[in-house]
Order: sequence, then structure tokens, then C-alpha cells
Amino acid sequence: MKFGYIAVIIFSIYFLLPLYILVMIAFSPAKYTIGSLYPPLTFKAFTLNNLIYAFTQYDFLHPFIKSLSVATLVGIMGLALGIPAGYGLSRLPGRIAYPILVLLLITNMIPGIVVAIPISAEFIRLHLFDTIPGLALVQELITLPLATFIIQGTFSAIPREIEYQARIDGASTLSYFKNVLIPSALPGIVSAFLISWMFSWDEFTYAVIISPIHPTLPVEIYLNITRGNELAAVAFSLVFTIPVIILTLFLQKYLKGEYLAGGVKA
Amino acid sequence: MSKLNQNLRYLFFTIPAIIYIGVFAFYPSFDAIYLSFLNNAGHFTLNNYKELFYFNIYGTILNTIIVTVGALLIQLFLGLGIASILTREFRGKKAFSTLAIIPMGVATIVAAITFSFIFQTTGGYANSFLHFLHLPTVNWYANTWISLLVVMISDSWKNTPIVTLILLSGMMSIPKDLYYAAALDGAGPIRRFIHITLPNLKSFIAIALIIRGVSEFNIFALPLVLIGYHPPLLTTLAYELYSTTTIYLSAAAAVILLAFISVLIFVNIKIGGRR
Repeated sequence: MKFGYIAVIIFSIYFLLPLYILVMIAFSPAKYTIGSLYPPLTFKAFTLNNLIYAFTQYDFLHPFIKSLSVATLVGIMGLALGIPAGYGLSRLPGRIAYPILVLLLITNMIPGIVVAIPISAEFIRLHLFDTIPGLALVQELITLPLATFIIQGTFSAIPREIEYQARIDGASTLSYFKNVLIPSALPGIVSAFLISWMFSWDEFTYAVIISPIHPTLPVEIYLNITRGNELAAVAFSLVFTIPVIILTLFLQKYLKGEYLAGGVKA
Repeated sequence: MSKLNQNLRYLFFTIPAIIYIGVFAFYPSFDAIYLSFLNNAGHFTLNNYKELFYFNIYGTILNTIIVTVGALLIQLFLGLGIASILTREFRGKKAFSTLAIIPMGVATIVAAITFSFIFQTTGGYANSFLHFLHLPTVNWYANTWISLLVVMISDSWKNTPIVTLILLSGMMSIPKDLYYAAALDGAGPIRRFIHITLPNLKSFIAIALIIRGVSEFNIFALPLVLIGYHPPLLTTLAYELYSTTTIYLSAAAAVILLAFISVLIFVNIKIGGRR
């Protein structure tokens, strides 16, 4: 196992190195980082000035609010569409459910840029271009399949006998959903919401095409780097990344191979 | 309630999602194909596709394929290594599996910006490291090959965790008895890996390759930040045309991308159907 530990250490450095560099640039005086021909690989000095400068000189608040609103809306729509779809798919026999799952899988594969170009033209006509609901509607494409797969998985784990029992006791579909199905699948549903939220928060391709004038945070970071405001881009990146890393670790259980492979169980 | 009626009732629940997909995925895809055959006056034309040759469309396709294949190889290699480690029990395994998932939580744009600091030609950390070792420094954007390599490396950092997770779920499904039997027969770790792990992992490797292959073909934010429009990939070319020329011309570039992805989707369904 000695050889194994060496591999573990090398891989750990590989995973952490870019984040270490990001933190170093954010908290070091520029002369030791972006102002240096051969920037030192270790911390030389600590400063908060980069962050203070970035947050006072550049607009962080509006992109932040836009990202937050879009991501939340994407999460809510994911549940509104994903809960019924997940329920239907978990109860349908395989030969009907499978083609629908494949359809969802295909959606996940259609290139963002192919969809975004014609949609941007339509959205200008419909006054949805550059709006929060417009962007959320398009980003939902990425998250809906994932949300549906996760919810379908958790619903499948709930025995059908409970549903039959509830019907015998006179429960309507709505009250069965409200009182039995959703409460017992709550961890899966919350995860579906959070994963949708997270994917929208990170999303770039649709955002840069559908919402370029009032950008989301990822687009704002990109615009800053193209304008040469490197320290602002780094500062925003850092603040932008921390909540997502925490969420990722929290959701580790649900970021399983089979969901990421499109939910089709291998 | 009859079985058929019941199935119809369940199917009814999936309709909102299906309608949504129809409106926001399939309609725009066909719209893109339609737009790609129009000129500014709204008449049918093949000129958009002809004009793509001025933008070196063959080279662009080739670049996209090179990035896809290269990045897949790196991710598969690293993913196999990391997943093999994670199937074993050792002290610190939990911490390591947490570390191994962290890049997934880093937004693509953030990964792109971080790697742009690493691979800067002057003042970059990669060159800093080479300089520290007294090795010659490298111009990371000197030619197409090395630029594409920078994209592959940066993308692999972000996406190896996904490949690892898929391969890990495959490795977990291989019965432990096979390894015990092989070990008793005197097979060492490398031979066990080649004769047991790899053959049993085939379908998972296929899934990982196809899922990641589609994403690699669509790679956009990372090359945009790292190499801009030169050398171009199908996505960056479509975006450049979208922001500088007509929507019709950019749609034509996007449709070429869609054609390649359609082939991959077809292969995926074939493989998926066999499982």
C-alpha cells in the first residue's frame, strides 16, 4: 500500500493545486502574483485589499442577485415538472418509461449553443431576452433530466402498497402526494432542488447568449477577465465557488455515477 | 381501473415535462436547422454552409475531435487510477474521496480562469514551476497543438471526478470473489486489473466515454477563456459568428456541431439498448 499512498498524495495535490493558486492570487499583493514574471509558488504576504477593491469598484451585487434568482427559479421549476414526471415514470412499466427516459437523456446531450442561438432570436420577439424567467426556462433543460432521474429514483423506493392503502382509505391523488409521497421522498426532492440550483448557478453557455446585458455571475466573471480586471475576476470567483463546494460535499451521496450517466441504471 | 387506463394516468403525469422538452429542446434544434438554410432576405440558400469554408470549418472540426479524444484519454486514465484507489480500504479514504469530488463543485468558468493563470506565457504558475526546477519555460499558445493540450488538461481537472464516479460504481459491482480466486491462482495486482477489472468494466467505460464525449464536443466556456477563438472549436466558432456576423451563419456552424452530436446520441442509444 506504500505505492498507493504516494498515488493518493499526488492526486490530492492535483485536485487542490488550482484552488490553492486561486486563493493565493486572491489574498496576495498583486506584485507577488499577476504582477510577477515568475510568481512565487508559496504565500509571500497576506492582504485583503484585492477583495475590498474588487467589491467596491466593480458591480458584484446585481450579477449575484441575478444568479441567485435564476437558480432559485430553475430549482422550483425543476420540482414543478420533475415531481409529476418522476412519479409517472416510477409507476409506468419499463417499456413505456424507458423511451421517455431516453428522451430526457437526449435533451441533456443537445448542444447548448444549438438551442441557445434560435431561442435568443425568439426571446427578443417575446421580450424574454435578458430576463430572469427567460434564462431560467432555458437552463431548466440541463437540470430537468437530472431532477427527474433523482426524484424517480426516490419514488421507486416507496412501496406501491402504501399508495393502494391510501386509496382504499379514500385519499385523493392530491392528498396522497401531499401527505404520503412527498414527505417520504423529501431527501431526494430537496437534493433534486439543490442540484438544479447548483447547475444553474454554474451555467455559462446559455447565460452568455440569452442574458448578456444583465449578466449572471459566471458571465460577469468572464467579462471582467476579458476587460483585464483580473483581480476582480479572481475575487468574484472565490466568493462564487465557496457555496458550491460546500453544496457539492453535502450532496455527495446524490452525485452518483448512475445519475450522472443520465440516470439509466447500468 | 384497467391496466391500460392506469398506465395512461401515469403517462399523463409526465406530459408537462415532455411538452417542456419539445418546446425548449426539439423545436429550437429544428429551428436552428431551418435558420441555417436562410439568407438575410429569408430565402432558401446553401451559402451559409459554403461560407463556413472561409472560416476553416475542416480545421475547426479536427480541433474539436482532437480535444475530445485527448481529454477523454486523460480522464479515463486518471479516472481508472483514482477509482482503483477508492475501491480499497485505507486510512484517510474518506478525506481522499471528498477531495476527489471537489473539482465538480468548481464552476467551469472559475476553473477556466484559474488555469488561465497557470498557463500564462509570462507570469504563469506552470512556467514558474518549470523555472523553479531550472527547466526551460514554455509558450503555451505557440501553436495549435499546445493550445489544445492546455484546454484538454484544464478540462480534465474539472471533469475527471465524473468519470471516476461512473467507473467507481462499475468497480463496486464486480464480485470480490473473482479477485480472491485470481489472487489464489497467483495473479498480481496488474494482471488482476487487466484480466478482471477491465473486462468487467467495459460497459461502464463505454458509458463514461459516451457521456463525456458528448460534453467534450460541446466544450465552450473553457476554450473561450483559455484560447479565445484561436484555434477555433465548433462551439467557439458558432459563438464568434453569432456575435459578429448573422444568426443564419452561426446556426450553420451550430448545425454541424449538432450533426456530430446526433451520431454520438445514436451510438449511446444503441449501447443503452443493449444493456
